[in-house]
Parts: sequence; structure tokens; C-alpha cells
Amino acid sequence: MRILLVEDDADTSAYVARGLEEAGHLVDRAADGQDGLFLATGGGHDVMVVDRMLPKLDGLSMVRAVRAAGIATPVIFLTARTGVGDRVDGLEAGGDDYLAKPFAFAELLARINALARRPPLQQEVTVLRVGDLEMDLIRRSVIRAGKRIELQPREFRLLEYLMRREGQVVTRTMLLEGVWDFHFDPKTSVVETHVSRLRGKVDKGFGQELLHTVRGAGYVIRSDA
Amino acid sequence: MPETAPSWAFARTTAFRVTLLHLLLTLTGTALVGGVAWWVTAGFAVRQAADEIERGMGVLLQSGALSGARGVALSIEARLAADRSGQEFYLLAAPDGQRLAGNLSGVSSERGWREGTIRQPDGAGAPVLMYAQPLPGGGALVVGRDLTAARALEQRLLTSAGWVGGAVLLLGLGGGLLIGRSIARRAAAMEAALAAVQGGDLDRRLAVRTGGDEFDRLAARINATLDRLQALMAALREVTDDIAHDLRTPLTRLRQRLEDAARAPTTAAIEAAQAEADRLLEIFAALLRIAQVESGTQRAGFATVDVSAIAESVAEVYAPAAEERGQTLVTDIAPGVTVTGDPALLTQMLANLVENAIRHGRENGHVRLCVVADGITVTDDGPGIPEDERGKVFGRFHRLDAARSTPGSGLGLALVRAVADLHGIEIALEDATPGLRARLRWSR
Repeated sequence: MRILLVEDDADTSAYVARGLEEAGHLVDRAADGQDGLFLATGGGHDVMVVDRMLPKLDGLSMVRAVRAAGIATPVIFLTARTGVGDRVDGLEAGGDDYLAKPFAFAELLARINALARRPPLQQEVTVLRVGDLEMDLIRRSVIRAGKRIELQPREFRLLEYLMRREGQVVTRTMLLEGVWDFHFDPKTSVVETHVSRLRGKVDKGFGQELLHTVRGAGYVIRSDA
Repeated sequence: MPETAPSWAFARTTAFRVTLLHLLLTLTGTALVGGVAWWVTAGFAVRQAADEIERGMGVLLQSGALSGARGVALSIEARLAADRSGQEFYLLAAPDGQRLAGNLSGVSSERGWREGTIRQPDGAGAPVLMYAQPLPGGGALVVGRDLTAARALEQRLLTSAGWVGGAVLLLGLGGGLLIGRSIARRAAAMEAALAAVQGGDLDRRLAVRTGGDEFDRLAARINATLDRLQALMAALREVTDDIAHDLRTPLTRLRQRLEDAARAPTTAAIEAAQAEADRLLEIFAALLRIAQVESGTQRAGFATVDVSAIAESVAEVYAPAAEERGQTLVTDIAPGVTVTGDPALLTQMLANLVENAIRHGRENGHVRLCVVADGITVTDDGPGIPEDERGKVFGRFHRLDAARSTPGSGLGLALVRAVADLHGIEIALEDATPGLRARLRWSR
């Protein structure tokens, strides 16, 4: 993927760029909003990572200008501000996701992957499949290897979130935000508990494990077959 | 700041300007009253004299038309004889200027009004108003009236006006000065007190008298503002102290882990250091969030929030966590309860309370979450909190001695308190015998 990184702090920029390149991506870097806008309008990026506080042109204005130019490339905002209202501002300016500094690199990578694989014109899927696990979104039913699995509504949402991102690492905070609408970090390991219960229903008693834990990053659902 | 301001400084005060304006208005009013008095007294006497002159002139001209100069002369003699008080003056002059009758001499016979001083038999001069009228056959007729009384009246009026004006000026200036000085003194006292506060004496307050005038109200308001500022400063200092004190421990641990890693750079040692750094960042994030909530800026984005739905959601999220400790999360949630607020913060507030109840509740016990129309209670059956500690647990970094060994930053309840305050929600901790009940209550 080709990623545009607009970040004024040289250390952070170098660190993120190195990580993304190690993950096999091509990275264009800009250190201020004007250069960022210039590179962004050149087009050809799959994802943009934009710091909110930038010299010359701040991140919000830059993304507004990019959107005004008709460029729909997904944008992740990075910010040192963690206010509730700030997140909304970022999304309203045309951002697709929002990540507070400091962040774990795995978190950023997972979110970039999630955004980039979001199909631009999503066809309405009614059935999700991972290996022999099948989720019918209309009948709200889950079947694995011909056996029906009973799920609580929230467990269903959790599984749906994971299955829609088959093969992608989904972090703990992504699950908290996407499944439970929790925009803070609970002290108790609620995500771990819910995932392990879901695993108990979906994987236990079946030959192959689908729901994997990625150490230090999050979870992924995939079929190795 | 000098103790006494230079004397000219008073001229620039509002009090002085108000005094001056007031004085000007008072003087104008007094002058108006004086003018009217003049017109109805002194003016009236002169107008009366003029009327009499015109009447006399008319009568004399008539008798002249009937019986010639001789008749006029006779009439004048008769009138002078009848005028005991010596107020009337006449002159009938021949064409060559010679006096034919009357008690005037040496006055101009040109037609018109004039005023002159006539020497009286006793030697004193008297002011006289005269009217001269040339006669058809040559010669002239002059009629005059004594104005001594009118002029004396005018003189007295002028003198009185001088006295009254002087008195008004003196009273106005003196009174204004007194009032102005009093206002200026109180303003100066307020200024001095505020200067002291500015200089660092935060305990200094303005004097408030029992009278309750606008100055006292202003002073009371300023005092309230200073109280608030002082409270904020104290809170800020407390936060700074807390941070300095409570971050030192994890920072020291981080340093130790890094030393370990430097000595033996194993993955485990580096990950331990990383975990320590993450913990520190978490504490910072929590502190910033509390500070942000306390600043109250979120109030602008308040909307109607379905508390029942939030409670259901929180209960659902935490039910498995409770089960892991063998606890049962019991809910009794009235549907459709709403408050005005920020949904994300209210969710976090409730999540923190439930989290606390699960963590401090008895293993294999019960955690109860109840939502009613005017409040929420979260109850556990753990050891509870001693009564004298209950007020303190809402402070930043406050942890009960018993909880020091368990994980947690001591910021959870501080955030709960900040969110509750932001929403105007009352929060209280009660004894649930056994256990602790956190009670949130809002006014409907």
C-alpha cells in the first residue's frame, strides 16, 4: 500500500515510517500541512495518516481541503489531545479514524489495514464466511460445520466485527470502540473475557481454531486452510 | 502604589466628574429660578412705570389738543401739585427749548424712551425713566417716573442672587467633594486589596459592609471570584503535588526495569519496562481526562442521553468479568430514564463504578446495578469503606491502604466525581451492610 504520513515531529515520523515500511508499505512523508496537502492532491495514496497539530496548515484544515478537492482516501488522525469533543471534530472534518498519542505501533498498523481494506463501494453482504463458520446477517444465525451456535446479541456483534475484517488484526481498543462504543480504556480485562467466551462457543469442540490472539496487538479471525 | 495620591489625581476620578456635572446642573436650575423672580418683581416695577408714563402722556396730549399749550401747562401744574411723593416728572418745552411748565430741565426732547438721573431738591440723584414726544406746533412734552424703588429692588435681588449662588456653589462643591472622597476612598480600598491579591496575598479579601449597596455587592462578587480562584489554585497545586508524588513511584520502577534491561537485555526485561511506561501513560491520560472534564468545556455538547441503555450496555460488558470472580451482576434497570449530558463520559462513569464494585466486592458475591427515574445505585457486598474514608476516596490517587497492593491508579473515582460534578449529579457512598453502595442522584 502507498501511505501518506503527515507528521511534524521528526522522531515520530521516522519511527512510524520505518514500521510501515517494514510491514511492506510505501511511505510518502510530509512535515507540515501545506506539503501534506500538496502530496495528497497528487493522489495515488491508499491511506493518509495525519497529525492534528501541524505547522503552516493544521491537520483538520488540511483534511477538509483534501475532501473539498474530491479525494476520498481514508484518513487517520493522530493527536496528542484526547478529548471527547476532539475526536468528533476530527471525524466531522472528514477523518475516518482517530488515534490518540502515544499509541502502540501495532494499533496504528491494525487501523490502517482496517481502513484500507474497507471496500469503497461495499456490496451489501448478507452472509459472512470464515472457513466452515458461517454468519447469516439477516436471520441473525451462526452455523459452524452444520451445527447451530447460539450467541448473545453482543457476542453476535463481536463476531460480526471480527468476521468483517477476516485476516486482519483487530486491536482491543478497536473492539471497545466498534462493538461496545466505549471510548476509554477499562481497567478490567472485559475484552479478553468476551473474546474468550466467544472462543468457547465458536472454536471449542471444533477441529480447527479460527479466533487467534496476536500477542501484543489484538485478535484476528482466519482460517488456515 | 503610593499611600496618598497626588491632589490633582482626584480631578480625574469619576466622583469628581460627577460632582462637577451635578454642580453645573444645580447652578443652572438656581439661575433659572432667579431669572423668573427677576422678571416678576424688578421687571414688573419698571413695566408699571412705563405704563403710567404712557397713560400720562396720552392724557396730556389730549388736553393739549383741546386747550393748547396753556391747557397742558395747567394739567402739569395740577398733577405736580397732587404728587406728594415726588415720583412724577414733567416738562413742557417751547419750540426754542424754554421750559413752559414742569419740574424737569435740560433733557433731550428727541422722541423716544430714555433713562436719566435727575437731581432732587435734597441733592440726591434719582434714576428716572422718561418718554419725550415732540408737539405738532413745535416744542416737546416729556413725562417721567422715579425708578428709585425698582432699582433698589433690583439691587437687593442681585445681592440675594449672589449669596444664593455662592451658597449653592459651596454646598455643591463641599457635598460633592465629601461624596466623591467617600467613593474614591472605597474604590481605593478595593484597589489596594486587589493589588495585594495580585501581589500574591491570596487570602486577602475586600471589606463588605452590612449595608449592601452596590459597592458591597461588587465587593462580595469579587470576593466570591477570589474564593473560586483560590480553590482552583489549591486544586491545581494539589494535582501538581499528586503528580509529583504518585508518578515518582512508577517512574522509579521504570528506571529500575531499564537498568535491568541494560544489564541483561532480554525480551522479558524490555517488555517489563514497556509495560511500566504504558502504565505511566495511562495515568497521564486519566489525569488529563479528569482535568478536561473538570474544566467543563464538554457542557456545550450536552444532549439527552438514555441512561437505561447505557446501564444495560455496561452491565452486559461487565457481566462476564463479574462471573470470572464468581460474582453475579444483578440488574434492575427502569427503562427510558434520561439525563442531559455526554454519553461517552456517563458510560465511563458507570463503567468505573461497576468495575470498582466487581473488584472490591466479595468473591462469589453479588454486584447490583439499579437505575430508577432519579438516580443510579451500584452496590457490592465487599468490605466497604470506613465512614471517615468515604469523602477522601474521590480525590486523585487516593487509595485505601487495603487496596495498595492491588492494581489500579486511584483515579477511577476521581473521574467519577468529576463527571458527576459536570452533570450536576449528586454522588454519595453509603454502607450497604455489608458492602458499599454508590448512589448517584439527579434532580428531575
